[in-house]
Amino acid sequence: MKTYSARASELQPRWYIFDAQDQVLGRFATQVAHVLRGKHKPTYTPSINGGDFVIVINAEKIAVTGNRLEDKLYHRHSGYPGGLKTETLRQSLEKHPERPIEIAVKGMLPHNRLGADMLARLKVYSGPNHPHQAQMPIPWNGPIPEMHVDIVRDDPIYTGRQSRAEDEIEFVDAADTDIDTDEEAEEE
Amino acid sequence: MPRVKRGITSRKRHKKVFRLTEGHKGVRHTHYKVAHESMMKALAYSYRDRRNRKRDFRRLWITRINAASRMHGVTYSQFMHGLSLAGIMVNRKVLADLAVYNSAVFAALVGKATDALKPQA
Repeated sequence: MKTYSARASELQPRWYIFDAQDQVLGRFATQVAHVLRGKHKPTYTPSINGGDFVIVINAEKIAVTGNRLEDKLYHRHSGYPGGLKTETLRQSLEKHPERPIEIAVKGMLPHNRLGADMLARLKVYSGPNHPHQAQMPIPWNGPIPEMHVDIVRDDPIYTGRQSRAEDEIEFVDAADTDIDTDEEAEEE
Repeated sequence: MPRVKRGITSRKRHKKVFRLTEGHKGVRHTHYKVAHESMMKALAYSYRDRRNRKRDFRRLWITRINAASRMHGVTYSQFMHGLSLAGIMVNRKVLADLAVYNSAVFAALVGKATDALKPQA
């Protein structure tokens, strides 16, 4: 028996909405990262991006514990001497409310091309609206059995009884064509 | 004593190495000294990873079983404990396979496991 390995063509990524309101930043980000990585699915395959799309709304209403609105610092450096810019979480949320969540989730995904691919499926918005109605996203309420659709075995070695009938039909077809060609050959 | 020319044996040796480093990157399959080093590394890695493969797959199965059992509201550890209480001895490879291809059977196993857990709680 061969362990299942997902193919990109088999996957049907879904869209989920996460409401960030009053959620604690890190704990919220772990849930988002989990879904982006696809670890909530029994088809999880480490080498391919099997995650779902995540829409985060109300990003500016994210919460932190303690005094982290003032104490949590975001640093970035322009590369020039004296180019270190530092802002607090509060300043960051005011200027670009999506960024703290994006940074938190990014740090929880693999730091490679696959992780970049997964991060591209994260859409963060401030306020309760998002422009992805066409994808028919549903609110995330944890994993449920309906999220998984059984994969059909297609490897003939492992298909067993169920497809044996089909195999026989194929075999007969092949035999017919063989006979035809034989007869043609004889006529010629 | 007859004279020994060294070209033939070293060519043979080099060919043997280059055959094993086919597909290695850049100079690692064209220059003998580097290719030899690359070959030694590659063989060591493959020896090690044949052993590690068993662990890698077990980890992957556990990840998948966890994902599937959480869909039914049971964590991996509860599920496995329940299975052992119920006396069901299905290994992780098969459990992970069922979760992907036969989720109904997997759900039935989760049911058995949770039933076995209940009297304890």
